[in-house]
Amino acid sequence: MSSKKQHIALIQHLDAGYNLARWLTRNEQDAQDVLQESFVRALRFFESLEEEDPKPWFLKIVRNTCYTWMKKNRNPSRSEPFDEETHVPDEAPSDPEFLLLLNADIASVRTALESLSTEYREALLLRELEGLTYEEISKVASVPIGTVMSRISRARVKVQEWLEKSKKGET
Amino acid sequence: MKKSDLESLYYKAPESLVRELSKKAQAYSVSSQKSSRLMGFRYAVASLGLLILGGIYHFASSPSFEERTVQEVVSSHVRSMMANHLTDVISTDRHTVKPWFNGKLDFSPKVSDLAQEGFPLVGGRLDYVESRPVAALVYRRDQHVINVLTWPALQGEKKSLFQTRQGYNLFQWIDEGMQYWVISDLNANELKEFVERMRK
Repeated sequence: MSSKKQHIALIQHLDAGYNLARWLTRNEQDAQDVLQESFVRALRFFESLEEEDPKPWFLKIVRNTCYTWMKKNRNPSRSEPFDEETHVPDEAPSDPEFLLLLNADIASVRTALESLSTEYREALLLRELEGLTYEEISKVASVPIGTVMSRISRARVKVQEWLEKSKKGET
Repeated sequence: MKKSDLESLYYKAPESLVRELSKKAQAYSVSSQKSSRLMGFRYAVASLGLLILGGIYHFASSPSFEERTVQEVVSSHVRSMMANHLTDVISTDRHTVKPWFNGKLDFSPKVSDLAQEGFPLVGGRLDYVESRPVAALVYRRDQHVINVLTWPALQGEKKSLFQTRQGYNLFQWIDEGMQYWVISDLNANELKEFVERMRK
């Protein structure tokens, strides 16, 4: 029966869901709890899904569950306050392999990513680690594509700034 | 940053969690099948007056014949384990088990002696699948119960299948006009061995 195949198909997005949850909650146990909750929710609503590709849809559920969870469990001020600039860049940010081009070790990059505000972090990781298109990210985060582009380019700048600062601090 | 660094920035879901959630997805599929079956039934009842229409709907919406039989075989196995009704006749001797079905069924099931191969016969019972009484033969491998359900196949039926359903492994085949369904929580390899011995 077709519904069986479809439900099973959701399993292949568990890694993507976990990666997002892990980066957003910054904690292993919390990420597991969030993933469980999201997955059960996804199973329940899967049949009403009309879109072709369940991946952005599933990631959106994971993302929303993360945000609800963070509101409930943690003071959000632990991450840098989110100051979104409203200007939209004229072009899509280039450098699809931005992270690869960084001249830094993995631990510094990880800390730099973690220092980003949640909105910047999710946009950057969905692009760089998950390889989603801007359109898909805009679906996941429920914001216009222009906002996605601006978040990604700002996030890249911030990561670079953070890495430079930490290098200077070391010497 | 190297490509491998990028990979290690990616957090993969822990295997135990994936396994657990896979089970959930599977259980969900089974329960949604049940509900669609129920829906089909309700519809059929509601449209009793519109017999033809109702019939068409039921045919289109209910699970396939094969799917229904799989469900019934799984239910039969589960029931036999929980209701303390595994066997009506307890015997390790096939010459006791086979004649026991005389007068209870309109066919005589083939009962194999596989004790030498490590699958001792435990007994037999009557069961009810596809709206007809069927023979259930019970074998064991260590602590695992193996149910073999058998009844005459419909003319022209030829299929065979292997499936895992709710954690049980399930083999089906047709031999000399008889339908055989083997179900157990035994691992697929050993159960396959059992099936091969039976079919010899």
